[in-house]
Amino acid sequence: MLRTRGARSTATRGRLLSNSLAVVFCLVWLFPVYWMVNTALKPRSEAMTATPHFWPASPTLHNFDVALNHTGFWTNLGNSLLVVGATVIVAVVLGMFAAAAVSRFRFRGRRTVMVAILVAQMLPGTALLIPTFLVFNEAGLLGTYTGLVLAYLALALPFSIWVMRGFFAAIPVEIEEAARIDGASTWQMLWKILFPLVLPGVVASSIFAFIAAWNDYLIAYTFMKDRGQYTLPVWLASFTNPASGTDYSAQMAGSVIFSLPVVVFFLLIQRKLVSGMSAGAVKG
Amino acid sequence: MPGTDQTVRGNPRAAIPPPVPGHTADALPPRPGAAATRSVSAHHRGPWVAWGLLTPAGLVMLAVTVAPIAFLVYASFTDYDQRSLFTGAFDVVGTRQYTDLLSQAEFWDALTRTVVFTAAMVAGSIAVGMGVAQLLTRLGSAMRMTVTVVLILAWAMPTVASSLVWKWLFQPGYGVVNWMLTQTGLFGDMTNTDWSNSAPLAYLSIWLLIVWQAVPFIALTLYAALSQMPAEVQEAARLDGAGEWRVWWSITLPFLRPTLTLVTLMSVIWDFNVFNQIWLVSAGGPDSATTTLGVFAYRTAFVAFRVGQGAALSVITTVMLLAVTALYIRRLLRSGEDL
Repeated sequence: MLRTRGARSTATRGRLLSNSLAVVFCLVWLFPVYWMVNTALKPRSEAMTATPHFWPASPTLHNFDVALNHTGFWTNLGNSLLVVGATVIVAVVLGMFAAAAVSRFRFRGRRTVMVAILVAQMLPGTALLIPTFLVFNEAGLLGTYTGLVLAYLALALPFSIWVMRGFFAAIPVEIEEAARIDGASTWQMLWKILFPLVLPGVVASSIFAFIAAWNDYLIAYTFMKDRGQYTLPVWLASFTNPASGTDYSAQMAGSVIFSLPVVVFFLLIQRKLVSGMSAGAVKG
Repeated sequence: MPGTDQTVRGNPRAAIPPPVPGHTADALPPRPGAAATRSVSAHHRGPWVAWGLLTPAGLVMLAVTVAPIAFLVYASFTDYDQRSLFTGAFDVVGTRQYTDLLSQAEFWDALTRTVVFTAAMVAGSIAVGMGVAQLLTRLGSAMRMTVTVVLILAWAMPTVASSLVWKWLFQPGYGVVNWMLTQTGLFGDMTNTDWSNSAPLAYLSIWLLIVWQAVPFIALTLYAALSQMPAEVQEAARLDGAGEWRVWWSITLPFLRPTLTLVTLMSVIWDFNVFNQIWLVSAGGPDSATTTLGVFAYRTAFVAFRVGQGAALSVITTVMLLAVTALYIRRLLRSGEDL
């Protein structure tokens, strides 16, 4: 009896310790996000006080209004959507074909293709940035949306192939065999059987490609020299007013607006995150 | 739908080691990598369809990755500079850019910085990530869900946004971190401390930012691997009188090793390449104190417009990373992943 109770109280203490640690961890890890939102909801005068206000005394949405009306927000949002949308469509369609090839076919050179895809994803940002800049400079693609989409495909395409490969590989081979017995051609097999079955993979890799392109700062910052051509990350990073100093409240509101779609997508695909992200969707 | 849950196991980067044979394997759907059964039907088809399907993606990759890398290597042997950008004229100068670089103290400083800083970031995020993964196994489902959501929020923040938040947290004058540190009374009045103006403090704040955003992926990946671990082995060890620490060291750690190795290699590659956070938080300063190889290459190529030299720098960085990538791919194959 005594031993049981002793063991139980040790377990309870263990639980208590774990839960306290978890609470502390959550507080620390959540703090930056909380502080961003907290600042965004405070009037500028309240954000800059000697003793910080941990809760907005007079909450306001005014900062969001300021951010949305800040130079070029809507134009830059439009640019982002255009470039990101094109990247997602091309990466996912081409990625789907390529993933079908590497996961449902056996052919000589298949492993080489897979290794090449892996290596392509590990390349450092500046390694691609410098030569792409030079080539685009020659080709007149600098400062064009086409150029930006092409540069983003270098990030998103290998990655889409990786993600979708997992989905193709999970389709039981029996389905293919049954279709073949029924006389389906390879073409019908792809379009009628395999492609519809990887639809969840299409959704997942679209989201990953979206995040990769939406978050890019370096390439857009280097390639687009005109404010009207900026994408949202560049807009956000240049969110300062030389005349009155940085308006941190409005900047935090801008950060919330910019982060929101990504956060929503992350929460939506939560369960696939570990497998997907590890393939390099979000690079430093 | 097929492919939702299996992907977690099927994706190579999930790096979850195959469960102990015979234990959980039966409960799992057939491993997607089961090549033997797949090729039965696959060998009916000629390779032409496969190559046809690969062609569009292949052409794009050729244009946006292979050709640029080839051109990068070529440019690193030239004197390409600002003038060349307008006139298109430049000369092949052999290995001069490389010898120039190797004789510059600036290059060696940047290299040392990058290696040390990468090691510090990887060590920090792996240590915390491992702790959080262990913590997750000891929590009830509600608490575990809460921690997971918090992890995802930190993870999801785009680096541009998180860098701006960081600057605000550490802002001299009104930054909340300075205020809190002042309240502790340990470091005197820190209200006006400018973190980006002191080399150690700039490093510290960037290190915190990177670790903050790297921990979620590491913790969740390790937790996924931990939840595949058969509980019986641990229990048997405990019955034999092994303490918690001993159980972790002799049973948990060896079980996690393949995943841990892959996650570490990946973190090395990512952290070596960190750019946005440094660029936005400290811009490589003060006095190039936080100028890592990536920042150095960017400055050389796009601020000083010594493009040839920037290219040489990038080639050196890429070669170093390729070594790590090769190691990573070997580990991937060894962990039973069918490429």
